[in-house]
Amino acid sequence: MDDFTVDIPEGKIGILGPNGAGKSTFVKIALGLIRTTSGSVTVLGEDLDRNTIDIRRKIGYMPEHDCIPNSMTGVEFLIEMGLVTGMSLQSATQRTHEILGHLMMGEEKYRKIEEYSGGMRQKIKLAQGLIHGPDVIFLDEPTSGLDPKARQEMLETINGLTEVSGTNVLLSTHILQDVETVCDHVIIINNGKLQMQENVKKLMQRQTDVIQVRIGGSTEDFVKQLKKSGITATSGGRGLHVPYVNDKTFEQIVDSAVKSNCQLYEMERATITMDNIYLEVVD
Amino acid sequence: MKEKAQVSERFREFKAELTSRPSIVLGMGLRGFLRLLSLKNPWTIALVALIWLWTLGFYVLLSTGDYPCENLFGDDSSEDFKRCQPLVYYNDLGLGGVRLFLVTLAAISSSGLIANDMTDKSIHLYLSRPISRLDYLIARFIPVFLLLMCVTALPNLIVYVNQWGEAGLEFDWIKNHKWLLLDILILGSFYSASYSIIGLTFSTAINRESWAAGAFFLFVYGSAIIVEIFYLMIGDDRVLLLSIIHLLDIIGFFIFDTQPFFTAAFGFEGIDIADIEVFGVFILIIGSCGIFVNWMISQMEANK
Repeated sequence: MDDFTVDIPEGKIGILGPNGAGKSTFVKIALGLIRTTSGSVTVLGEDLDRNTIDIRRKIGYMPEHDCIPNSMTGVEFLIEMGLVTGMSLQSATQRTHEILGHLMMGEEKYRKIEEYSGGMRQKIKLAQGLIHGPDVIFLDEPTSGLDPKARQEMLETINGLTEVSGTNVLLSTHILQDVETVCDHVIIINNGKLQMQENVKKLMQRQTDVIQVRIGGSTEDFVKQLKKSGITATSGGRGLHVPYVNDKTFEQIVDSAVKSNCQLYEMERATITMDNIYLEVVD
Repeated sequence: MKEKAQVSERFREFKAELTSRPSIVLGMGLRGFLRLLSLKNPWTIALVALIWLWTLGFYVLLSTGDYPCENLFGDDSSEDFKRCQPLVYYNDLGLGGVRLFLVTLAAISSSGLIANDMTDKSIHLYLSRPISRLDYLIARFIPVFLLLMCVTALPNLIVYVNQWGEAGLEFDWIKNHKWLLLDILILGSFYSASYSIIGLTFSTAINRESWAAGAFFLFVYGSAIIVEIFYLMIGDDRVLLLSIIHLLDIIGFFIFDTQPFFTAAFGFEGIDIADIEVFGVFILIIGSCGIFVNWMISQMEANK
């Protein structure tokens, strides 16, 4: 990560970026597993370098990869994780059964983890992160490797469990829909750099109709001419995005092109989705 | 519905009261120790039983006066080696007789402790908990250390108590043998700690339990055999420092303040090596193990 400064608010935050963007590194830095070479990290208002261990008492972590021992049952594993976090046996046992109840594991919780499906393993991984009632849980690619149905279930489980326990979420993913479903704030990173930080609702509001325009000649003159007609064009993708109001907007674009001596190569009505925004930012 | 709502409320307000780091580490260590002694590890239990039976048999030999220390070094060197003193009994009893089993037990019990965490990658979950890397290593060290103490210090302590019983349970006997008691504990701790650290190093380096156990056993006994051959050829005592078994034995004799001797198929030989050489090599080996394990786990922390 390089020249990376970000202030993350409370709530459910998504860290979005392509593979290798630095999402997992970011999560590991926040956990204190990787030390920064320069700069400082503050987690939950405390300096990470000074209080790494104490801060971890308030953090839950769900790693991306499979990391649960097959030889234990779900209950045994969660109790062990509770004890390793510092809970008493009684408290860890009680909490284990409560969480597994919320996850609707039923009698499956007494089976060995090696017999669990991919979705159940992910649930157990999520549960171990929430066992001690953390203030914030870091979820690293929680839907990785799941089929669509299991993915939807996982997202609902994350929403449900964190909602009911009032836990803040830091969700690292490369899947846009995961962020849309779970998060209320998104951070997009690429090549170890912060690309964008936005409220998800505001971002969704940007998903309005636009006209994709591609011209030859002076783009600056064309944009000025459009502005005289009361239209603000923005750059996007291969050309410009002009907000669609009604069919008259097409005429205004043609007029502006003529007046600014520009050739109109392409004029097509399109919808900006979150995918488009993400690709624009990442590209 | 009402009942469900109450459960959710309790779930929402849950904030675990967490204990201190030392308690977490000690708890992890003790649970690991109990797991080693559980029925899931029949070979470990069998080896512990075997070592205890060996100790019992050896003690019967001692009590009948058949222990061959009268002729151990010949008449001339008997005073030098302080043979037939309780010190030598204990060193031979605890270490000479059980050495083979001790190494086997250390190999079997230590090999899976870190290797399994690395194989199933649960090490990432442990290291994200409120414990440091060193805490984790101590927690994995405790189980094998306690297990080895059960077969090094504990049998000797029982022999010590028995001898005290034979002496009529007189308090004066304890006073006269207070250093012996301390030596027994130091020797047991020294052997247990050394083999634990070396075992955990193999467990970290070779993250497959059975391979790690095999490599540990081969390393300890392979180096001992090679070193003994070279010792015969060269005749320099310092060659013995290259074998873990011989190195630990030499320090073991230092602990009991007796002159070190070398036991091989051809007989017994006195060893004359400077303390600084012995402890220098020991610190180098154990230090290297510690640095290596720490480095390996730091790599695991940073990578998937």
